[in-house]
Amino acid sequence: MTSLNSADAPLLQVEGLSKKFSVSGTWPWQKRTLSAVNDVSFSIDPGETLSLVGESGCGKSTAGRMLVGLTAPSSGRILFEGQDVSGQSASQQRAMRRRIQLIFQDPYGSLNPRMTVGELIAEPALLHGLADHRGANDRVAELLGLVGLAKRHAGRYPHEFSGGQRQRIGIARALAVEPRLIVCDEPVSALDVSVQAQIVNLLQGLQERLGLSYLFISHGLSVVRHISNRVAVMYLGNIVEIGPKAAIFERPSHPYTRALLAAAPVARPGARQAGITLSGDMPSPLDPPSGCRFHPRCPFAIERCRQEIPVLSPGGEGRLVACHRWQEISAFQTNTSGARHAPKTARLLALYRQAAAANSNLRMSST
Amino acid sequence: MSTEMTALETAKPAIVSRPYLLRRLARDPLALVALIFLVVIVVAAVLAPMLAPFDPYDTNLRMRLRPPSGQHLLGTDTQGRDMLTRLLYGARTTLALGFASIVVGSLIGTSIGLASAFYRRLEGPLMRLVDILLSFPSILFGLALAAMLGVGMDSLVIALGLSAAPPIARVARATAASVMQAEYMDAGRVIGLSDGALIRRYLLRNCAAPIVVYCSLQFGETILLAAALGFLGLGLQPPTAELGSIAAEGRSFIFLAPHVSTAASLLIFMIVLSCNLLGDAFRDLTDPKLQR
Repeated sequence: MTSLNSADAPLLQVEGLSKKFSVSGTWPWQKRTLSAVNDVSFSIDPGETLSLVGESGCGKSTAGRMLVGLTAPSSGRILFEGQDVSGQSASQQRAMRRRIQLIFQDPYGSLNPRMTVGELIAEPALLHGLADHRGANDRVAELLGLVGLAKRHAGRYPHEFSGGQRQRIGIARALAVEPRLIVCDEPVSALDVSVQAQIVNLLQGLQERLGLSYLFISHGLSVVRHISNRVAVMYLGNIVEIGPKAAIFERPSHPYTRALLAAAPVARPGARQAGITLSGDMPSPLDPPSGCRFHPRCPFAIERCRQEIPVLSPGGEGRLVACHRWQEISAFQTNTSGARHAPKTARLLALYRQAAAANSNLRMSST
Repeated sequence: MSTEMTALETAKPAIVSRPYLLRRLARDPLALVALIFLVVIVVAAVLAPMLAPFDPYDTNLRMRLRPPSGQHLLGTDTQGRDMLTRLLYGARTTLALGFASIVVGSLIGTSIGLASAFYRRLEGPLMRLVDILLSFPSILFGLALAAMLGVGMDSLVIALGLSAAPPIARVARATAASVMQAEYMDAGRVIGLSDGALIRRYLLRNCAAPIVVYCSLQFGETILLAAALGFLGLGLQPPTAELGSIAAEGRSFIFLAPHVSTAASLLIFMIVLSCNLLGDAFRDLTDPKLQR
């Protein structure tokens, strides 16, 4: 399957992308570098959804911002449709950037409060000459229809809409410039759960209709599982595992991926996987650990992990994994049967059962 | 359709939308009085040629320094000119001077403020320059500029505008810096807007309210400064009627004919006080929304 896909060139190819921020300490000469994104490579095919997951602060948003040109990469290349995005003249770059759009996390903050919805959506189309002033109204109506809003909404201001509606406006604005790739930076995590589903379905519908590719940045694993074709897991600025959705979710190889999946809540009491639980916080990217960046929190860490940085290497089922010990670890079964509750949860559940029993007794005695 | 249209119109998000502000202003009686007073003064100043009972430059030395009477409601000045007429024309000049200066000052100040918030590299140099200008008392700064630029309406407006600009630049930068944090600035950049368009359509539009409010406060200051320059002889030259210079003319006769200086000074005082009260009220009205 992968050999078939490699026949047509990927839409986006990212090679060795890094971003280092220089942070000043107490004194101006105490400059320290924070490496937010570290030598990240991936590609996205036309019509594909690649998800980027990880804890907050792992650099996934920074990676997305570099793709749309909001942050300049420190090193590495971004190839879009086979062409280097940065090595172009300003006007060419602008035309190319147009094809990569961004949907923001915060639907309340990402729309200029002083512009009507119509102005907001028409602005990018007019800017890139995709509509003239006469055609703009029709285009706005068309785009509003595409995202499930009505034409009459065009005259209103963003603050009159709910979060979900605003996110639809944001999507319409992104679509106005006819992009091929949309970077969705946590597009649903600021929304109600009921609205999340609507937006995700809208994004999927648009993908089918317009042949869009998505880079879906999220920490909501259930959404990622629903929407993506492939998943990349990031930890402290590095991709630790990347591969097809099924491989990542069913048989995670990297210990961090396992911990991440184990930490996701399951909507059934007692069904929670007793997998790896991580202790401690993510180390500061100002002062990353030696060797494998995950080793201080990894239950499987050995001496080699402290010294040698693991590189992404094929790990079966079309995945790449950056771990020295993934083959040994895969012997461990993540899904231990007969999951146990945490002591606190067990106590609470016992109390709950007690109360329920008392309640039913009470009801029986009253009848 | 029509109900929809009205719903649209009443739901404007503007923080300084007029009817809304006026309605809330009505709950602040002091500010309302100040507003009414200012409106009356401005209307009287604009209509001075029609309202004034005499010619402001018509001297009559036999009638000099007369106290208020039936013919001259506010008496006459050192040259025997009608004081009421002089005050009307004086207010006209002073208000026009103040308004022109605050426009110049807010243009300069807002440009400096927005530029230093938008281009972080300019922030250091521009704001240190503003700090230096702020370290001079504005009256001293205005005096020095007026003396340098010479006499005349144009140079006076430039002098007053320049001395009003630094604090406006501060306010503009502070507001713009917080707007720059908003995600919609990034959103504008992603669709490929140029810096100029971003500043005009995104930054300025969202900074306008606090800047306008601050300028309304500064308006009073500028008028005071204009009058002070006139009083010190660096303003417009006699016989031009200007409140500051009218007050200065009457100064030598303050015991003989106190009405000349007193009337002019009182008018300045009232105008400046009203501007400050109104500016304060505007600030209070917009503040809770800005903090959100």
